[in-house]
Amino acid sequence: MEMEKIIDRVDDLLKPVCSQVTQVASFRIDAEVTVETLLDAVKILTDARWGYLTAITGLDKPAPAPAEGEQPGENHMEVLYHFCEGPVVATLRVTIPYSHAVIPSICGIVPMATLYERELIEMFGITVEGTPNTDKLLLPDDWPVGVFPMRKEFTGFAIKPVEGEGE
Amino acid sequence: MTVEAHTKTEKFIVPIGPQHPALKEPGHFEFSVEGEIVTGASIRLGFVHRGIEKGTEVRNWTQNIYILERVCGICSHVHATAYVLGVEQLAGVTAPPRAQAIRTIVGELERIHSHMLWLGVAAHEGGFDTLFMYSWRDRETVMDMLEAISGNRVHYSVNLLGGVKYDIDQKLTDQFLKGLEFLEERLTHYMKVVTTDETFVGRTKDIGKMPKDEAYMLGSIGPTGRASGVERDIRVDSPYAAYGEFPIKMVTDQAGDLQARFIVRIKELYESIREIREILGHMPESELTVKVPRRIPAGEAFSRVEAPRGELVYFLKSNGTDTPERIKIRTPSLCNWSSIINYAVGHKLADMPMLLAGIDPCFSCNDRSVTITKGGVHQTNWTWEQLRQYGIEYYR
Repeated sequence: MEMEKIIDRVDDLLKPVCSQVTQVASFRIDAEVTVETLLDAVKILTDARWGYLTAITGLDKPAPAPAEGEQPGENHMEVLYHFCEGPVVATLRVTIPYSHAVIPSICGIVPMATLYERELIEMFGITVEGTPNTDKLLLPDDWPVGVFPMRKEFTGFAIKPVEGEGE
Repeated sequence: MTVEAHTKTEKFIVPIGPQHPALKEPGHFEFSVEGEIVTGASIRLGFVHRGIEKGTEVRNWTQNIYILERVCGICSHVHATAYVLGVEQLAGVTAPPRAQAIRTIVGELERIHSHMLWLGVAAHEGGFDTLFMYSWRDRETVMDMLEAISGNRVHYSVNLLGGVKYDIDQKLTDQFLKGLEFLEERLTHYMKVVTTDETFVGRTKDIGKMPKDEAYMLGSIGPTGRASGVERDIRVDSPYAAYGEFPIKMVTDQAGDLQARFIVRIKELYESIREIREILGHMPESELTVKVPRRIPAGEAFSRVEAPRGELVYFLKSNGTDTPERIKIRTPSLCNWSSIINYAVGHKLADMPMLLAGIDPCFSCNDRSVTITKGGVHQTNWTWEQLRQYGIEYYR
């Protein structure tokens, strides 16, 4: 079947650079990459003209609340690069800690990623090294520095009480 | 190739927007110019950023259908379709065939309304208001069909988790077939105007040319990409809903200019009409819904559909509760902005409104007022308050 062929091909392409390649659904394949191997993996896919970058998703993964007397675990974020070819979706997954939330820009290989990377920067507070433009894309100009709305810890701003209302 | 040309201090910069006269939705563009010719462009979005992705994390799976339909006022159905297909993937259920057919019919009706709306706006940008008036008048036919099926013109709200709310009976089928016949006749006229009218051709032919390779590199999708020969259409590449059973033909053009973007969209309308007739003629018999659990099993899903403007992507992550862990939406307009930033360079500033309209960025639908005659009450003009009171009385 055509779909299996496409999956086999991307599997072969990604195996050399990715620590783990798993087929998670009939049409989806997930590949774990590191900050160091991300660019290699993207380059392999682009050079082979396997699909196109469909989206970049940021995921916030705060550590679960620690049990009593235990040290809290470290918070992480995950960045997913979705590539699509025909019906197949290949996802490159990079996990980075809060303490060093830095990923390299893929704009050198995929120029159109600039808007997606700008979104990551302002929504998740991830530093994208070497991205051509770091201006605000979506949030208002007066948005406070260091507040990243798509992180789980952000639950909205406290509503200021209106004068003359309430008790 | 640069996606974003950086503005240098010695250049003359023309800021356009946020309240752009050509776009009914706000966006800010900065064009650096040398004389009349554009040498660089940059973009700033987010003036209508509403935090919907974040909002979905505090609502349950069912409530999210309604918030996600409101991402866009033009392609509301396609957002809900992408979402419900994703949730059904996670829950491991498939909507019944008749529900899938109805989803497809409404999706294609939505495409017809969206493309006709665009045709009018784009014609208006080109200074061709007669075509604008005609296409918007004719578009009312499809708006009436959408209203007939769902009672709504904008947020049809046809989808449910596991199926659809509304059925299509024989009476509706007859109305649809009649309306489609009229639309098909009008399309022939539009096609003639777009390809032969001298003024129109003068403003569209060889303007904003984007060769196939460039379109491919910039990730152009939808009619914008297909007008440059990029063969990407999710309805064909990865058939969803009823597109597997009722296949659709991909429309492409090699010219890659503004005119090709008109031609591709009009040809797609013919194809949509054919598809709707085909499904109406072979409507599968089945239930309209299957049961979907309130708590969705933990996992990740990836759902892609073809919106009127191109590929729409939903990434869903469930943590096993009744609210999603994360919903990521990538709308087609976001992809196509990079094309425009690129092909604007080298053109006259006066071509910018049409080029901006050429990718069909998402606009909002306008309000309208209705005149209802019932029980001897005849009045042609209604104030908002009268209309509101009438509505309250009517449903009492």
